[in-house]
Amino acid sequence: MITREVTVTNRAGLHTRPASMIVRTASQFDADFYIEKDGYEINGKSIIGVMTLAAEQDAKLKLHFDGEDEEEAATAIEELFESGFGEVK
Amino acid sequence: MPHQKKTFRKESITVPFMVKQLRTAVGVEVEEVNDVDPSQHKVIESNLHRPGLALAGYVELFTYQRVQILGNTENQFLRDLPAEKQREAFGHLVQFPMPCIFLTDSNRLGDDLVAMATEAEIPVYRTAVPSTQFMALLRDFLYDQFAPQQTLHGSLVDVYGIGLMLTGKSGIGKSEVALDLVERGHRLVADDVVIVTKKEEQVLMGSGTDLVQHFMEIRGLGLLDVRAMFGIRAIRFQKRVEVIVRMELWDSDEEYTRLGMVDSHETVLGVKLPVVKVPITPGKNITVICEVIAMTHLLRHYGYDPAEVFSERLAQRIREKGSRVPSRGTEYFEHDYE
Repeated sequence: MITREVTVTNRAGLHTRPASMIVRTASQFDADFYIEKDGYEINGKSIIGVMTLAAEQDAKLKLHFDGEDEEEAATAIEELFESGFGEVK
Repeated sequence: MPHQKKTFRKESITVPFMVKQLRTAVGVEVEEVNDVDPSQHKVIESNLHRPGLALAGYVELFTYQRVQILGNTENQFLRDLPAEKQREAFGHLVQFPMPCIFLTDSNRLGDDLVAMATEAEIPVYRTAVPSTQFMALLRDFLYDQFAPQQTLHGSLVDVYGIGLMLTGKSGIGKSEVALDLVERGHRLVADDVVIVTKKEEQVLMGSGTDLVQHFMEIRGLGLLDVRAMFGIRAIRFQKRVEVIVRMELWDSDEEYTRLGMVDSHETVLGVKLPVVKVPITPGKNITVICEVIAMTHLLRHYGYDPAEVFSERLAQRIREKGSRVPSRGTEYFEHDYE
């Protein structure tokens, strides 16, 4: 299992569109994927779950990956956060 | 190492929130005694304190951060003192930044003492409920507020009064089964994200999140609002979690229970729950299976275990000896006129 820490960089936060991008990307991998915010943890492959984080700009999240392709999954998801989901920062 | 689920809890609640919940959810009448803005006062733990020793002057280990209860004993103690000593005793108390004071059993403080509390910006409330009863209610409420919580991925549905927690990998069809159960008249508690809290020993309560409530996502359709579509009869806001139904793809190497239903147990927040593994195969109606799981759980709860009853019947037959072939369930077929 690996854990990565990321920050929400886009101004609008994790609203519907970024949330669905995360879920769509995560679902391409077999590895289990959980997102944690202040101890509250959800399944990163569930769109409703990701949206319940209601993560705003600058929110810090922990990403947990567990499975054979965890490295690839972590890299792909991290890139999404770094790019700010292609939105205004 | 398998992923360990995280737990979280509230750090604090505000005094106005606590008082509002006492009035509405708990159903206790509480009135304000003084005019202090309580919005910045926070409660940070579930224990209560009766500050008898603090009134007497011993404040070394005074747990002033707790909600303070002044019952008959404390009030009688104050009343028996001369006015000057009353102010001195009460002064020991209000020198500390406590969240609030409750006067139970319709007790009243003298005007000068109320003024001291107001001066120290400590909100004071009064209730007619006797101390022990009030403390039991308040402690139960605070215990619930500060209990560890955890999120579970899956759907929680009330099926015939039994809280079934449908779990399984993403995309296996938990939401679809939940929707089908709602269609058949059962009640959805939450889909996808269920927040569970341990209420008391061996009781695990579940609810949705305040944001999502009864929305669900069905792949191919998008977001649905179950309450708007099916109405109030189709939902509930909280339910005890009683059985975990684990949906998984059929695996020919896996051993599935053939007789006893419950394969194993899983412990969530220290509460042991039965797990029923349901293999998904084409043509299998999982909704009906879920109803049967709930009904069997009910039967077991009332002391009837079909697997036990049947094996006892079998053992009885074997004990009877005199080996014979299985006979018809009916001795004599009358005619069947249709």
